[in-house]
Amino acid sequence: MPRVQEKAKILENHKEAEGIYRLVLYAPRIVPTARPGQFVMVRVASEGSDPLLARPFSFHRLHKEDGLFELLVRVVGRGTQLLSQSRPGSPLQVVGPLGRGFTLPTSAQETVFFVAGGIGIAPLQALLDHVLTTTHKDHPERVYLFYGVRTAGEFISLNSLKRTGIHLVLSTDDGSTGQSGTVVEAVQQSVKDLSSMPERLYACGSLPMQVSLARWVQGRNIFVEMSLESMMACGLGACLGCALPAVHADGPEVEHYLHVCQDGPVLDPRRIRWDKVQPLMVRPQTYVSL
Amino acid sequence: MGQSPTPHGSAPDLRVSLGPLQLANPVLTASGTFGYGLEFSDFVDLSRLGGIVVKGLSLKPRPGNPPPRLAETPCGLLNAIGLENVGVEKFIEDKLPLLRQRGALIIVNILGNTVEEYAELAALLSGVPGIAALEINISCPNVKKGGMVFGTDPHMAAQVVAAVRKRTHLPLITKLSPNVTSIADIARAVVDAGSDILSCINTVSAMAVDPFSRRPKLANILGGLSGPAIKPIALRCVYETVQAVSCPVIGIGGIQTALDALEFLLVGASAVQVGTANFVHPRASLDILDGIERFCRQQGLGAITDYIGTLDTSCRFPLADMSCDLSHPRPFP
Ligand SMILES: Cc1cc2nc3c(=O)[nH]c(=O)nc-3n(C[C@H](O)[C@H](O)[C@H](O)COP(=O)(O)OP(=O)(O)OC[C@H]3O[C@@H](n4cnc5c(N)ncnc54)[C@H](O)[C@@H]3O)c2cc1C
Ligand SMILES: Cc1cc2nc3c(=O)[nH]c(=O)nc-3n(C[C@H](O)[C@H](O)[C@H](O)COP(=O)(O)O)c2cc1C
Ligand code: FES
Repeated sequence: MPRVQEKAKILENHKEAEGIYRLVLYAPRIVPTARPGQFVMVRVASEGSDPLLARPFSFHRLHKEDGLFELLVRVVGRGTQLLSQSRPGSPLQVVGPLGRGFTLPTSAQETVFFVAGGIGIAPLQALLDHVLTTTHKDHPERVYLFYGVRTAGEFISLNSLKRTGIHLVLSTDDGSTGQSGTVVEAVQQSVKDLSSMPERLYACGSLPMQVSLARWVQGRNIFVEMSLESMMACGLGACLGCALPAVHADGPEVEHYLHVCQDGPVLDPRRIRWDKVQPLMVRPQTYVSL
Repeated sequence: MGQSPTPHGSAPDLRVSLGPLQLANPVLTASGTFGYGLEFSDFVDLSRLGGIVVKGLSLKPRPGNPPPRLAETPCGLLNAIGLENVGVEKFIEDKLPLLRQRGALIIVNILGNTVEEYAELAALLSGVPGIAALEINISCPNVKKGGMVFGTDPHMAAQVVAAVRKRTHLPLITKLSPNVTSIADIARAVVDAGSDILSCINTVSAMAVDPFSRRPKLANILGGLSGPAIKPIALRCVYETVQAVSCPVIGIGGIQTALDALEFLLVGASAVQVGTANFVHPRASLDILDGIERFCRQQGLGAITDYIGTLDTSCRFPLADMSCDLSHPRPFP
């Protein structure tokens, strides 16, 4: 699939929730081949060399007929801060589509769980949109979205989802809306209540969520895919910086890494050596003023 | 991209001759920043570049260092990849044939844990068609054994080069480390030992820490700094190396634009390698090449060789402003 660099035009940028911005970009060369779960590298500095590197973001929604895609950006550092302030009308250098997307469901018979922690909703929405217009068009009741955030203000707008007829299970860490506790606890509770397992589970979220979900799916016979993160410089498979410790076929003694930009970002969490993943790997704190 | 008027009609001659190595133009890509070349083929016509230097190869595949392997710093990138690579065999079988098809001039960057490993790699690669030169990496700061140890001691550096020289007739480029007291001493030693060309610099040994978690940002603790932040260091290293030896020198370090590349050529580099800029802008190398060509036209230069090494150090305070409108001074508009 061709990857292109395109000067995308920002059509909209608005605050979507606490610390989260929604950007609509016109990128007619990138959009046609883009798939849910894939990502783009976005250069946030329009000139100069600081910040130097482009930042990776998942496709949040794809509007193929209009040549548009949406990004959902959570402000965590200088790059995302700059991006959140970018103005409609201005151009943005974008490279994509990159990486492997989600494996799409094939049958409406399958019960599908979507598990989003915080900004993890970003790539899952694109997949939900796809599933609800194709395989599960007539069976939205077989689709569950578990969506957990720290506190109520961090939820993005759910109006369009509420109308689809899927099961929506909201949770907050502080109990301000929906179930109290983590989104993984909400999933475990539902499985108990339903006394059945989903056939498929797609997830994206913070490192603690990934670790706890990875532990939960271990040894269970369900199809699981998770969109994972790692620090990236190129997004193209060239720098080899985005490595994650992974299981090797020859056993745990063999040192082995997967590269999130090429082997992923969508991966079966059972392939990752979570015991070797360091907490600093995905979120250095750089945007704090004292 | 609007072409500027050509004062001298015909296209400038961008060919450069680096001793035994002839290049169609002076723009190469730096090892470890362009993968095995194929990663960039959606963006760059590889045959247009002066050449590509592939990711450093060792005899056996290497898994690399544990993550985090990257950290961004002001105008720079800190990495501790740990020379992850597929190993020489897989390179020859899987990567090289595809690269050859793309018409790229291929330079292979090699690295070993011992002098003998370097020599063995050289012998193995010499028998393979389609390789234009070897670049000996004696300057990687990110591995425990070998790597920079060879590059910081003139005697050991010379030993590596001499051992490689015995096993190959390919043009030899030795890549120097900035992490030394005297780069000139190392340069002289490796040229005496048989290196045809020098390239400088590799990354600058550096560190980044997180004040909140109180941890280093790289699992390896130390890493190699690259990108615009190191350009002044790289220029100085090229300048000192050019003064010290008479063989051709390739400039590397923080080159993002055609103007950056021209600074290295001015100081005496016969060619340049573009590194971290490839990550920021996949087409950076070609934009730099186009910019150099525009520069030559605007300046009325018939050949880029007329420009190389013409730095005038006699007058420190130029009277006239000689700035030139390159219409695309930055590759990242
Ligand atoms: C495949 C993928 C998809 C992503 N999709 C989204 C998304 O849809 N929405 C969203 O808000 N965020 C997403 N992220 C995370 C986002 O890339 C980071 O939050 C962002 O890069 C932080 O940049 P910063 O300058 O604000 O932070 P800083 O901390 O200042 O960044 C410093 C450096 O660290 C890197 N970095 C920091 N955090 C991350 C991270 N989590 N992942 C990768 N690199 C990081 C940056 O690239 C930069 O080089 C995604 C990450 C990956 C790997
Ligand atoms: C991620 C990364 C990997 C690198 N790997 C190698 C390598 O395998 N061999 C080598 O000789 N240099 C390697 N280098 C060094 C570059 O080739 C180059 O010398 C350095 O980055 C400075 O140039 P720049 O500032 O243009 O990037 C690597 C650099 C980076 C950033
Ligand atoms: S980000 Fe460069 S290899 Fe994955």
